[in-house]
Amino acid sequence: MSAIDVVSIGLIAIGALFFIAGSVGVLRFPDVYTRLHALTKADNLGLGFVVLGLALRADSAVVIAKLAVTWALVVVAGATAGPLVAEAARTSGVHPWRRSK
Amino acid sequence: MNAILVGFAVVLLLTVVAGLIRVERGPSPADRMLAAQLFGTAGVAILLLLSEATAIPALRDVALVIALLAAMASVAFVKRAWHPGPSDARGGSS
Amino acid sequence: MTIADWIFDGVLVLTLVWLALRTLAGGQLFKSVVLYIAYGLLVALAWVRLSAPDIALAEAAIGAGITGVLLLDAAGHMRGSIESRSSRNLRARNQSAEGGEDG
Repeated sequence: MSAIDVVSIGLIAIGALFFIAGSVGVLRFPDVYTRLHALTKADNLGLGFVVLGLALRADSAVVIAKLAVTWALVVVAGATAGPLVAEAARTSGVHPWRRSK
Repeated sequence: MNAILVGFAVVLLLTVVAGLIRVERGPSPADRMLAAQLFGTAGVAILLLLSEATAIPALRDVALVIALLAAMASVAFVKRAWHPGPSDARGGSS
Repeated sequence: MTIADWIFDGVLVLTLVWLALRTLAGGQLFKSVVLYIAYGLLVALAWVRLSAPDIALAEAAIGAGITGVLLLDAAGHMRGSIESRSSRNLRARNQSAEGGEDG
């Protein structure tokens, strides 16, 4: 195992950690808005680190470009869907969660 | 090395299975849709990992298509499936 | 086939069967639609594991993508489902509560 392999596996592990954190957040957080927050972290950072780790192992520039485009598409999709879902939840009367005393 | 990549794919698949619990519980349609969006992103990551592990470059195209269409599902959900109807709009303005 | 491959395939197959049962048996329309979208995604993964990436491409585009959007649209038109009725009741309660605060 070369040094690049170790770095790449480390980056993919960080990405998987973000995915686990996002999944736990979607499961445990109390309302739509906080779950949206957990979800977008998993989207952007989790996939970002996985793509970064895989780009280190890629053999050609085309593959790296395709990985980057995939990540950019997911980021744009998350940035579009997040505010839309939050706005729809707000207008339909879902109140933000407050810690009960 | 490939086994490690598939191992990470297993971890991501398990996060998808955990997200299914949120789809089951709800409570609002938005919660279910958020979980579906998480599946899309995790599926993209799984496909990219499998593409590297099995050396099938075509899987990156599948990941690209899923990344493209996951956004469409969310937008269709907000614009079509969960719109406040005419009666709700009247109630909001009164 | 390493052990990781076996675990991946096993988890995938079990989740697929469970998901198919839940999609058909669920009483709420919208929940079934979301479960169907997840199901389409996992079927695409299954085609990948059977080393058929072209079918996986078609399944991801048609099964999870276009059909999911069409079903979401259809579920939006069918407002009589349990889910939408209960959420409308929730909104009505919230609005009457806000109206009460104003008065």
